[in-house]
Amino acid sequence: MIDTLATALMMSTPLLYGAISEMFTERSGVMNTSIEGAFLMGAFGGFVGAYISGSLLIGFIFAIISGVLLTFIYGIVTVKYKQHQVVTGTALNILALGLATFLFRVIFGIPVIPLKVTPLQTIAIPLLSKIPFVGPIFFDQNLLTYIMYFIVPASFYVLYKTSYGLIIRSTGENPEAVDVAGVDVNRVRITMLLIAGAFCGIAGAFYSLTILGLFTSSIIGGRGWIAFAICFLGNWRPYGVLFGALAFGLAEAIGIRFMVMEGMVIPNEFFIALPYILTIILTITRNSFNIPAKLGVPYNKE
Amino acid sequence: MKKVIELKNISKYFAKVIANKDVSFDLHEGEVLALLGENGAGKSTIMKILYGLYHQDEGKILINGEETRIDSPKDAMKYGISMIQQHFSLVEAHTVTENIILGHVKGNIDVNECTNKIKELSDKYGFNLNPNSIIRDLSVGERQKVEILKALFQNTEILIMDEPTAVLTPQEITNLMKFIKDFVKGGNSVVFISHKLNEVMEVADNIVIMRNGELVGNVKKTETDEKKLANLMVGRELNQTPTKSISHVVENENVLDMTNVTCVDRDGIKVLNNLSLTVRKGEIFGIAGVSGNGQQELCEAISGVRELVDGKITLLNEDIGSLSVYERIKAGIGYVPSNRHRDAMISDMTIAENMFLKSSFENKWLAGKLIDKEKLNSYTNNKIRDFSIKAHGPDAKAGGLSGGNQQKVILAREVDNGSKLIVLDQPTRGLDLGAINHVHKSIVRESKNGKGILLVSTELSEIFGLCDRIGVIYQGELQGIYSPDELTPEKVGLLMAGWKEEVR
Repeated sequence: MIDTLATALMMSTPLLYGAISEMFTERSGVMNTSIEGAFLMGAFGGFVGAYISGSLLIGFIFAIISGVLLTFIYGIVTVKYKQHQVVTGTALNILALGLATFLFRVIFGIPVIPLKVTPLQTIAIPLLSKIPFVGPIFFDQNLLTYIMYFIVPASFYVLYKTSYGLIIRSTGENPEAVDVAGVDVNRVRITMLLIAGAFCGIAGAFYSLTILGLFTSSIIGGRGWIAFAICFLGNWRPYGVLFGALAFGLAEAIGIRFMVMEGMVIPNEFFIALPYILTIILTITRNSFNIPAKLGVPYNKE
Repeated sequence: MKKVIELKNISKYFAKVIANKDVSFDLHEGEVLALLGENGAGKSTIMKILYGLYHQDEGKILINGEETRIDSPKDAMKYGISMIQQHFSLVEAHTVTENIILGHVKGNIDVNECTNKIKELSDKYGFNLNPNSIIRDLSVGERQKVEILKALFQNTEILIMDEPTAVLTPQEITNLMKFIKDFVKGGNSVVFISHKLNEVMEVADNIVIMRNGELVGNVKKTETDEKKLANLMVGRELNQTPTKSISHVVENENVLDMTNVTCVDRDGIKVLNNLSLTVRKGEIFGIAGVSGNGQQELCEAISGVRELVDGKITLLNEDIGSLSVYERIKAGIGYVPSNRHRDAMISDMTIAENMFLKSSFENKWLAGKLIDKEKLNSYTNNKIRDFSIKAHGPDAKAGGLSGGNQQKVILAREVDNGSKLIVLDQPTRGLDLGAINHVHKSIVRESKNGKGILLVSTELSEIFGLCDRIGVIYQGELQGIYSPDELTPEKVGLLMAGWKEEVR
């Protein structure tokens, strides 16, 4: 039970990084449909960096660079040149998959035994981790999960209490008002995409450098899209996103738990499919949306 | 008086069109300067240059005597220049405060402090606005106040207002005029862009008149009158708005009869409430009101786009309430919607194609199973001639025409579709005087042909000039039906704002 909940928190970490970053880009009016590709680039770049240098820190830096590179291309094409966001995102996702697979072979050949790096370890926080029940769940985690605890309140603060947060929210609702106020709409949107690239890069590398310690081209397996959906389900609000990320993390953890259990009646695949089923049900049943009014619409000046 | 802005020989070209040619005038401290001209005369362009949205191709701008380059609205704001555009740029989902401080406070936002400051500003000019209201809940008049506060919040000294009265009720216009006068008393200046002579005469100290991108007059208010201004503005003698004096006979037979009609919007809120009216043969029935009070829904209910929740609509005593749009077109209802680009035409198609858009099911356009191109073209050519549409022929793209000519295309089509009844929703909005004149003439002509006309308009002069009876609409209800002699503009204004007579 405690194990499963701790795993749930860990599994929700990359989803939250991705979904929060998606929330910020969508609040500014752009859908980051290259999110799946950015996750994969992060997983790939992170592994390469860490394997070659032997340092996880360098690995994560590589991951950030890889993610940002992809969303930068995405931003230039969709924001500056105003191309269709879904089409561009799809193209970049396919490109990322091909690129990661290809470059991995170029760099490492086809290894006989899978190449591994030592994953990011958990750090038990003295005292706090000794609290019964709560301790092992919350305070025996890896660094990135600890950072996650702060991301949601920080996001809330930035979005609702700062001038730049107001600009971000306004950009997604009515970019013209932002333009008139003397703020460059496209710059706001591209900035959001670049930050999203960094977050997605870390999220992707979380799979290769924290959960598994290895890289395969199927490592992300649609989790970028889940983060994308969480943003939507969380109604573009930080705490909604947190709730969504935790729910999906829990579903994944239960899936993992049942996978290793003997004599299970319910097939493991059911739990893997659970988040996706949940997405569809929630999407259909919910009727109040906080969707940014100009989401997906490029800004044309006059 | 001190000159705060001097525009010197400004010219601006868009592709092949001259928007401004050699325009020069000054703005003084403490002055209301009216910029008068027809649509497309270049009034907005010259002000957008001053506001930094465009950049002039020739000429220079002097601020307080010094030559200045203004590249963006941000630059303009540095010099205390703000412009309130015709289309407001407000974030509907946000509060008044959030809209006003957008981009103008740094770092952390102290909401209370901002709200208090805005409340103070709002009270100073008697705006009576709650800073915590969400924009989407505000009326157009209140939204305009938010735009004004946005400018005041940045310590604007020169306020440019582009057609600020177009969307207001008469009472709101009075309040706006009062604000403008208060504002300039403190040594500020206002540029008031308008094509309405009476307003310009009321509020301005000096009047600059523009025509076809050029300056054609710069006069003191005290030295001119409306007639002189009109002649300068149009450059030709105007035909008077055709009035009922061009006699047409209203017969006693009802073309349209609506009884207790109720419609709801997507959220189930009543947009038309228990509305009853009749339009007789040969009658022009006017609907006056502030836009957004159910006018569009009323027209949609008649044309069949919107379903009735309750009530009955008959056309020449036949119930049409459950007929489809297509069946209603066949029954002889023509409809000129207010948003022509969205509801009435396809910009990428030719005039001829647009002409038969709504009657494509009729056999008259067919040669065998195919479109009879020749017939359609000769029909369109006739229409182009009859309605003096400026286009090179039936194959011209509808989207390439000017607004006035697009409206004539739609009118030409709907006059034929509406063999019994023509519904016109704001048919002259955004048109220049020549085109307006043409639309008015067509309306009177069709009513003389014995058709029933339902004319929705926010221009009271149009309603008073053309209509036999006037219904005032407010929040989906008719405030009453009057003959024009029973009403004064003041009374209509009150009715439009929701006041209701106790006993009639």
